[in-house]
Amino acid sequence: MSLTRPIRRVGSVFIDASYEIGGAARLLVRIFRRLVPPDLDIPELRRCLLRMGYRSLSIMIATAFVVGIILVIQAFVFVDRYGLRSQLGWGAGFTTIRELGPVLLALMFSGRVGAYTAAELGTMEVTEQVDGLRCLAIDPISYLVVPRFVAMVISLVALTIIGNTVALLSASVMGDIMMDVDQHTFWSNLFAMLTPWDYATSIIKAALFGAIIAVTSCHYGLTTTGGAPGVGRSVNNAVVSSAVAIFVVDYLSTFVMG
Amino acid sequence: MINLVNIHRTFDGEKALDGLTLFVPRGTLMGIIGPGGCGKSTLCKVACGLIRPDIGAVVVDGVDLVRADRKKLLDVQRNCGVQFQNDALFEHMTVLANVEYPLRRLTDLGLGEVRARAMERVAMVGLSGFEDRYPNSLSGGQRRRVALARACVTDPLILICDDPTAGLDPVTSRRILDMIAGIRYQTGNTVIVVSSDVPGLLSVCERTALMWSGRIIEEGIPADFMRSERDEVKRFLDDARLPFGGNG
Repeated sequence: MSLTRPIRRVGSVFIDASYEIGGAARLLVRIFRRLVPPDLDIPELRRCLLRMGYRSLSIMIATAFVVGIILVIQAFVFVDRYGLRSQLGWGAGFTTIRELGPVLLALMFSGRVGAYTAAELGTMEVTEQVDGLRCLAIDPISYLVVPRFVAMVISLVALTIIGNTVALLSASVMGDIMMDVDQHTFWSNLFAMLTPWDYATSIIKAALFGAIIAVTSCHYGLTTTGGAPGVGRSVNNAVVSSAVAIFVVDYLSTFVMG
Repeated sequence: MINLVNIHRTFDGEKALDGLTLFVPRGTLMGIIGPGGCGKSTLCKVACGLIRPDIGAVVVDGVDLVRADRKKLLDVQRNCGVQFQNDALFEHMTVLANVEYPLRRLTDLGLGEVRARAMERVAMVGLSGFEDRYPNSLSGGQRRRVALARACVTDPLILICDDPTAGLDPVTSRRILDMIAGIRYQTGNTVIVVSSDVPGLLSVCERTALMWSGRIIEEGIPADFMRSERDEVKRFLDDARLPFGGNG
């Protein structure tokens, strides 16, 4: 009996994970069906863009600013030891644009917007507001999910572009202060070494992460049961699952995109 | 007309409906009573197509909701007003916006007419002056009344009220049941009301059904219902503190 328990537990975890992944994949298919041709509520999309994109701007800029500074502080030892001052722009740009920018900003976005969305939809589900929409012949996917999906993808792409820029600005200033790497050296090295594909990679990753956060948070929100504690569980599951999915997709996309 | 035939529905292995059969004639005010957890809310959601039964047929005005395609289901739902147990008010909208919303989504009425009709329904439920308030600033009874106004604002052919009196004091509870009865007599439409206020419900409804463990075990006009010889009916009415054999 005791020998089979770990196996049963692993099996149970696997079945639960498959159930959630299957549910999220099904939701993604339903979203795409409503995107071609577009069937979404435009006023709701506008509200979502304002709330998810514009109102996240300050916290994302603050995060990106600190990321740029930390990057230079961490790089200082190696740049100083090997005399790579002229390569600081490339190093900071490559790391920020291809990896740190999209991933860290996506995790921040998941904590702020994904958690909010899971809580919002979860509360609507347990208070029967979603049923109320169905009764008014309003498709909850078109009205609630598709605008959030589109808004999260657009917002995270835009915030990642802005965040990358801010992180590089703060890195260039910090490089100037700590290592005497002047602005011209930093930026000319960065633009000379980075290719358009590096920028494209960042945008593709941001779009993928936005889609992951949207689908995960909407899936957990709409499958909430069990009142207020259920909403808490949904938020927790949405944030944890989004983070795991972001790292897995980051690995796969890095592997595929080089 | 609503006809539910041999409905079975299970949630996570628990039977919510277990062979339920119920016929609600057109234009009837049908009261559903029963102990907590017997499946009354599930019955309401099955009757308006929000929950699909595992087995059985749900026929609403000649359309079988189980086999109907999405378009037909939406057509039926357009003619179905539902007041949910949790009110289901949209918290980001004012009272007036909540009541206007079904008219904006489901009708072609102009803005002025939508506003006038919504104001009229808000006044009908006694909430004039509360139009610009948000649901979170209202009491439980006021929220129920807003939900009732929203459910009936389009004059739906079928009105389903899922425990509109839950948690309310007897006076407010009776007031809400009287409003529902008033809507039924004004419009002549079909109304299904689930309520834990058994005396109040028996005094306003035309037919009553008792649910027990996921099925209807007694159904009839309130006077006959009160004289039922079934043990479960006697026990339930006794628990509800109704004098058995009385006239309701």
